[in-house]
Amino acid sequence: MSGVRQSENEIFALINSVEAVSPESTLDDLAELFANPAYANLLSLPVVDNGRPVGVISRYHFMDIYLKRYARELFGKRSIRRFINDHPLLVELDQPLAEAAQHVAKNMKFPLTEDFIVTRHGRYLGVGFVMDLLKVMELKMRANTEELEKAYTQLKSSQMALVQSEKMASLGQMVAGVAHEINTPLGYVQSNVTIGQELFSQLKTMITEYETLVDGLMNEQADDAEIAAQMQLVAEMRNDVNTHEMLGEMHGLMTDSLYGIDQISELVLNLKNFSRMDSAATDVVNLNDCIESALNIGRNVLKNKVEVIKELGALPKVSCAPSQLNQVFLNLFTNAAQAMLGKGVLRIKSWHKGTDVYISVSDNGKGISAENLTRIFDPFFTTKPVGEGTGLGLAITHQIIQQHGGDIRVDSRVGEGTSFHIRLPVSLAAIKPSAELEAIA
Amino acid sequence: MSKPTLLLIDDEERILRSLRMLFFVGYNVRMTTDPQEAISILRDERVHVIVSDQRMPLMQGSELLRIARETSPATMRILLTGYSDLEASIASVNEGEVFRYLMKPWNIEEVKNVVAEAAAIAEASFAMANTDIERAAASEKPRVLIMDHDEATAKTVHETLSDRCEIVWASDAQHAMEELARQDISVVVSDLMMGETNVGYILKTIKQLNPQTQCIVVTSFSDTSRLIELINQAQITRFLPKPIAKGVLARNLESMLERFHMVRNQPVLQKRQTVAPISDPQEKKLAGNFLGLLGRLRGRVGA
Repeated sequence: MSGVRQSENEIFALINSVEAVSPESTLDDLAELFANPAYANLLSLPVVDNGRPVGVISRYHFMDIYLKRYARELFGKRSIRRFINDHPLLVELDQPLAEAAQHVAKNMKFPLTEDFIVTRHGRYLGVGFVMDLLKVMELKMRANTEELEKAYTQLKSSQMALVQSEKMASLGQMVAGVAHEINTPLGYVQSNVTIGQELFSQLKTMITEYETLVDGLMNEQADDAEIAAQMQLVAEMRNDVNTHEMLGEMHGLMTDSLYGIDQISELVLNLKNFSRMDSAATDVVNLNDCIESALNIGRNVLKNKVEVIKELGALPKVSCAPSQLNQVFLNLFTNAAQAMLGKGVLRIKSWHKGTDVYISVSDNGKGISAENLTRIFDPFFTTKPVGEGTGLGLAITHQIIQQHGGDIRVDSRVGEGTSFHIRLPVSLAAIKPSAELEAIA
Repeated sequence: MSKPTLLLIDDEERILRSLRMLFFVGYNVRMTTDPQEAISILRDERVHVIVSDQRMPLMQGSELLRIARETSPATMRILLTGYSDLEASIASVNEGEVFRYLMKPWNIEEVKNVVAEAAAIAEASFAMANTDIERAAASEKPRVLIMDHDEATAKTVHETLSDRCEIVWASDAQHAMEELARQDISVVVSDLMMGETNVGYILKTIKQLNPQTQCIVVTSFSDTSRLIELINQAQITRFLPKPIAKGVLARNLESMLERFHMVRNQPVLQKRQTVAPISDPQEKKLAGNFLGLLGRLRGRVGA
């Protein structure tokens, strides 16, 4: 047994050491062996010649012969050679368990009348029971199933992590865009207020000097020379600072600042609407509002590059998770903008028919080849350069729409543009809440 | 002397109005939302400083500044942006060769100081532009210092410049600092990290000390805020993201060596690459130590 680590050999564990019979044994010898209580579990006896198994003889076959009338007398002293099955079930010790089990299962006969023989390098080692082998296999498969289940769970959670990271990536892009949108008005508002503050303190000084002058003029006991000096000072100040012009400018800057503050408030409001802190929750909303909200958030990507044509029809309110649909629309709009080589047109239509709401988003960008078109909803499929797209945007879009009980289709022509068509049912009943949906929300 | 001319470009008029108010006194302010108009102003008038937004509908600020470089090389270029994406900042170094990269919302004092500094440098540049540049014969071989463990970088540098330059490949930050202390370096080719050491402060200090040294940063790091710091505080002249095509690095090495020769003979050009003070307190301290080392080695007190 050298070279085999017995503790790890699964077949070794199945071996029952059974003294083999020689092909020269007689049927009477066999009768004695089969009657031996030690061999009670054996279905068959191995027949070995010169250390090599030449066959088996089963209890079943033996009985068949031996219990016939006069059989003992006729064959009792005969060698068993002519009665043996010379195609025994053979298993090599070094064989993988699964392979051995497969071999045995394929070649065993029903009813089960024989055990299998274990050999090492073709030499007889012992006997194994088929049921034991199958039991071990079953245990192993059960363990495998558990492993598979575990792997599946892991995959599922890592997919969720990826979905989350895609969300974070698009969030990051969005935040960068919104930051720019806010920084511009913030830039001039802050600057204007600071300028105003400086001007204010200048004016304060001037007013003080004017007041001193007026006080002097009204005071009958005042010294004429002092008044003259003060007048001189005020006149110089008037020359240095063109108050009217400064105040006129400042008035403009204040108007600008109020406008900028409005801009910032509007952006913050949009962001709030967009994300809806209670985001997983469903709500009854008009999808046209979601579209407007996504357009506002995506403004940074769209402006200057994309002419947006909206043909939004009157829609019944739809039960949905608005933050998710916002994400869907933002995905589609930014994709469209990215597909445009120069300036382009983004056409957004919405309408209502029966119990469904329809939205189409079309661009006149570079289009998608037929080969890529079949894959665009696949997770991780992306044509964007490394680092720019995770390939999950449209996969998530697809998932969200499906979970809302709707569907999304795409058609595209290279060089002409791409259209996405979304159908969503109006009623909440159609929404299928699921763990994934919660994870995305 | 007449007032310096300041040209402001932004697609948001309110930004222009606000900035104009800042420079109401002391400057001749020109402003426009149209880059084409800006280009014609640059062509027709003597503009000391141009301050441009980055994200504009008709043209990116870095592109406008690249055109400004060709149209009016003496004009100092400043980018003022609220959007810090890496691509824009790289373009502002490599194409716009900006003097400063400023962020919105801006600090009034900083903007005023930067513009005033730029205007003074531009004034000197205009004065120089009329005199012929005399190219002094190189007294000694230019030296190139490689601060990058990447063999591909070293190989390209050797293949491109070994016939004309003395090349030193620094083994670590300490070695690099010793080399910089020992002798003037013409061109530095540096990654942002050498092993564990962030070498940004070394690049910033070199430029304080040796304005003629031209810095090429080659790196796989893509941190926009660090890059902006390097623009303002180290005046790096090229930022090449790794992996770099060999030809690209070679071409930039050539042009930076050429730039070094020009700058060396033109004190005004050195001024154009004046750096802003180091802002990070930790880096400031490290830079101080480095200057101390320099002082000891060169027998003179550092800045």
